[in-house]
Amino acid sequence: MNIVITLRDLFSVTPLIALFLASLIPITVKVLNGNEEQNPAGTLWQGVGGLLASAILLMTVYILVHDQEMKTAFGGALIMDGKTVAVGILTLLVGCVSLFLMYDNPATRGEQFSELVFLTLNSIFGMLVLLAANDLIILFVGLEMMSLSLYIMIAISHEQKLSKEAALKYFVLGGVASAILLYGISFIFGAAQSTSLAVVLERTPELIASSKLYLFGISLALLGFCFKVSIFPFHAWTPDVYQGSPTPHAAFMATAVKAVSFIAFMRLMESRAVEGSAALLNVLQWMAVLTMITGNVAAILQNNFKRMLAYSSVAHSGYVLVGLIAVGLEPVNGPLTLGLGSPAAVIFYLISYSIMTLGAFAIITLFERDEDASISIDDLAGYGRKRPLMAFSLTLCLLSLAGIPPMLGFFGKFYLFTAAMDQGLVWLALWGMLNSVIAVAYYLRPIVVMYMRDGEAPEAAKPMNATRVALVLCAALVLVLGLFSGQLYMLVEGALNAGPAAPAPTSAGL
Amino acid sequence: MLSTIVFLPLLFALIVLALPKNWVRPAALGLSLVEFLVSLVMLARFDPSTAALQFVEQYPWLHRIDVSYFLGIDGISLWLVMLTTFLTPIVILGSWTAIEDRVKGFHAALFVLQTAMLGTFVAMDAIFFYLFWELSLVPMYFMIGIWGGPRRIYATVKFFIFTMAGSVLMLLGIIYLILLTKDQLIFQVGGTDYRAMSASLLDLYKLRIPFVEGDFLSPQSLLFWAFALAFAIKVPMFPVHTWLPDAHVEAPTPGSVILAGVMLKMGTYGFMRWVIPLFPEAATYYADVFIVLGLLGIIYGALVAMVQPDIKKLVAYSSVSHMGYIVMGLFAMNEQGVTGGLYQMLNHGISTGALFLLVGMIYERTHSREIKRYGGLAAVLPIFTISFFIITMSSIAVPMTNGFIGEFLILMGAFKYNVWMGGLAVLGVILGAAYMLWMFKRVFFGEKGELASDTKHPLHDLNAREIAVLAPLIVLVFWMGLFPGHFLSYTKTSIDHLITNKSNYELTVQNARPAELPAQAQTGGQ
Repeated sequence: MNIVITLRDLFSVTPLIALFLASLIPITVKVLNGNEEQNPAGTLWQGVGGLLASAILLMTVYILVHDQEMKTAFGGALIMDGKTVAVGILTLLVGCVSLFLMYDNPATRGEQFSELVFLTLNSIFGMLVLLAANDLIILFVGLEMMSLSLYIMIAISHEQKLSKEAALKYFVLGGVASAILLYGISFIFGAAQSTSLAVVLERTPELIASSKLYLFGISLALLGFCFKVSIFPFHAWTPDVYQGSPTPHAAFMATAVKAVSFIAFMRLMESRAVEGSAALLNVLQWMAVLTMITGNVAAILQNNFKRMLAYSSVAHSGYVLVGLIAVGLEPVNGPLTLGLGSPAAVIFYLISYSIMTLGAFAIITLFERDEDASISIDDLAGYGRKRPLMAFSLTLCLLSLAGIPPMLGFFGKFYLFTAAMDQGLVWLALWGMLNSVIAVAYYLRPIVVMYMRDGEAPEAAKPMNATRVALVLCAALVLVLGLFSGQLYMLVEGALNAGPAAPAPTSAGL
Repeated sequence: MLSTIVFLPLLFALIVLALPKNWVRPAALGLSLVEFLVSLVMLARFDPSTAALQFVEQYPWLHRIDVSYFLGIDGISLWLVMLTTFLTPIVILGSWTAIEDRVKGFHAALFVLQTAMLGTFVAMDAIFFYLFWELSLVPMYFMIGIWGGPRRIYATVKFFIFTMAGSVLMLLGIIYLILLTKDQLIFQVGGTDYRAMSASLLDLYKLRIPFVEGDFLSPQSLLFWAFALAFAIKVPMFPVHTWLPDAHVEAPTPGSVILAGVMLKMGTYGFMRWVIPLFPEAATYYADVFIVLGLLGIIYGALVAMVQPDIKKLVAYSSVSHMGYIVMGLFAMNEQGVTGGLYQMLNHGISTGALFLLVGMIYERTHSREIKRYGGLAAVLPIFTISFFIITMSSIAVPMTNGFIGEFLILMGAFKYNVWMGGLAVLGVILGAAYMLWMFKRVFFGEKGELASDTKHPLHDLNAREIAVLAPLIVLVFWMGLFPGHFLSYTKTSIDHLITNKSNYELTVQNARPAELPAQAQTGGQ
């Protein structure tokens, strides 16, 4: 194939180029300084600046190449569509908040802060590639770039044994997942004779019926992603890795990495393979149910705050999988539908989930005095009296995670389950709802401890203003975006451009 | 008007948080009285001659699904709103000395709770309603958990999880109804038809949900049970009542008053506003089940109350018994039953609220709620005794008190529904009188118990503040008992409308303007 790279292609990837160049600044400065670590605040702003610049460029690109034919670049290998942009911007902003947390946390703000910022930005670079991937090979490359940076991030941060263990575990299991994915891709290529996602998606309905090879391939590819987003029974690494990683990294993995992997997952689900194969549909449904149950039940038993949040993130993966199954069942460009549009519901959920989870992780950072700190829920005792604003912010985030209106998390669930029920997944929605009740039990616990028990609440001595700002910001967003969730939803849907046409005035016999 | 009533307390919550600590109580009292005055203005402007929704405010909120900010009031919710605004200043005055820790937080929680409860009664959009319904859990959860008794954490978490368990199924039901609207309803704007998803209660009423008698899995039955379970837990009905005694015993006095006085009514209100009109066939078909459960609640609550050693627990179980009457009246689904049910909601709010206040007053003096440690209080605390006596009379429905009117109407409705059920319910009345009077005898008469005869800590009778707390309640007991017409004239039209049009109930909006193109149609197209 003869590919000509045009200026327009290069223009489409300016956000990526900008991000990569920005990532070089901190380490270049460090090298020029004779390997002396510069002032961490400077490094922080270089990183944040790069992320924000990339976000702005992403917006610009989206606005300028809005129409359908121009969205793809590099001969259709990359696609700058609504999903890429919406979740891309989310990822970049989550990256900013994560950098704030890394700046404050004793485990990450060490001699190697510049390298850490470099790696974080590169990991996000990989995420953007993964988001924009419209070709299975690019998809794999993006996934690996994201993951490899992450492995190193976890490994270099700590002197703690636990983090080395976590990095190794993540690396080995991530490697297995990648291998499964790649194996699946090879089968897909064999059956469809193309790695282009567009071609694969188009040929799926015919292939899934005729070719067992293809079914095997797409199932393996989906399982590979199940590993990445910790779907039962491939979730076992999550709690260990989150607990062992420095808190900012855990927050980053639980939000950005997950959101991005889910979008790639969604691109595969859009093949509507689940509609063609009842077996695949069944398996995924049960995996969703078991993921929710495992995550929630295990979270109740945890005393370590970070581990609890890890299991909670497993449970939320289960909810999102319900939405993804709805995506797989939704007619593409069907006749005028009045449905919600499952992709928009899923992305809305990912946005809401990312914000509230970041808030919850921020509180752990506030308590970490040193690199080896392990924060249990009971450490929060008395926090409500000591720091009313922080405690209140955490309360909002936790209530949002539990799905209490008018917080954002409630609307996330509302849209997600409405979309699922619209595709006839009533019993999956029922499981989701029942699980939200189980979840209340552990989301309430930190609140109980903060307000209803007396204690010292041994915060880290060093004032962590950046983290505090991040926490209050998350809490404010959870409340404000909750009240204006209609607007946020329309924004997401507008970006996806997948919304149904206006309920065009038609005759009553529609 | 309604927006002001619903959201004014939220503003008050912020004001209270900003004030210096010493000013909080007087300010909160003043502000809650302002709120009550505003609601009185609404009462004066309320038009009792129509069953349509009044003071309607509707603005689009979510777009893809037509969820709107939709407030409206009719005869069914009017008095519940009044009850809420009336009880709040009483609770604030009543907790003047009971709450000493984190006073600001307490009053802020109380005001947020008031907003949530008022919103539940006047929200006419399913999702908007659900928002207030769930929101009301949060301040109550804090109220019990922070200012409650020794087992407060267990009680508050149990309260939260029980209620939440019911309401998630209701949310599922709401989503199902919303999805039905796009299949069944055709909206008209300016002569053109279109379809949309709507969460407005007025649209949901128009749905015709398939019902097959005897088939539990038909959509209407499932939806009926999803909603009914949520409300039954809140009421609480036997056998899902177990959170109530725990919550009541551990809650601080003001929390108990609000819980018993208003929050339980959210459940019975739900039956009237949502379950019966939305699922009329299923409600008729399963009415027997609910009447029997109501009856079981009446008798079980009374029997358990009888053997309680703790006064507060006794009052808590008496709530289970009284709420049983209300459910029974509502599911009799005739004019007397429903009217009595609604009236009894108000009575229970007043009499049980007052009982919890009285128990709180004596607890503040003695720090004990054990019945056997009392006795002979009548000689020591005459004013307290008289107040307690009047409220007891109201609670056991002696003629001339409000309780009589409510219970009489309910029993009439029950007899009309089924003579046997009515007969058994009368038995419950006797049991009710038995446990209350026996408790009254043990606490106030007989030989002076250890607390009444304790010379080191002599008991003081009610002070002016406490009398001011009880006086309005006692006035209402007689007012509602002697002149029920003053109150029922406001509800009659709405209840008649509900009973006569049960199977195809619809609500209209008073002075409705011509429909505007909803937000979905305006912004939906891309």
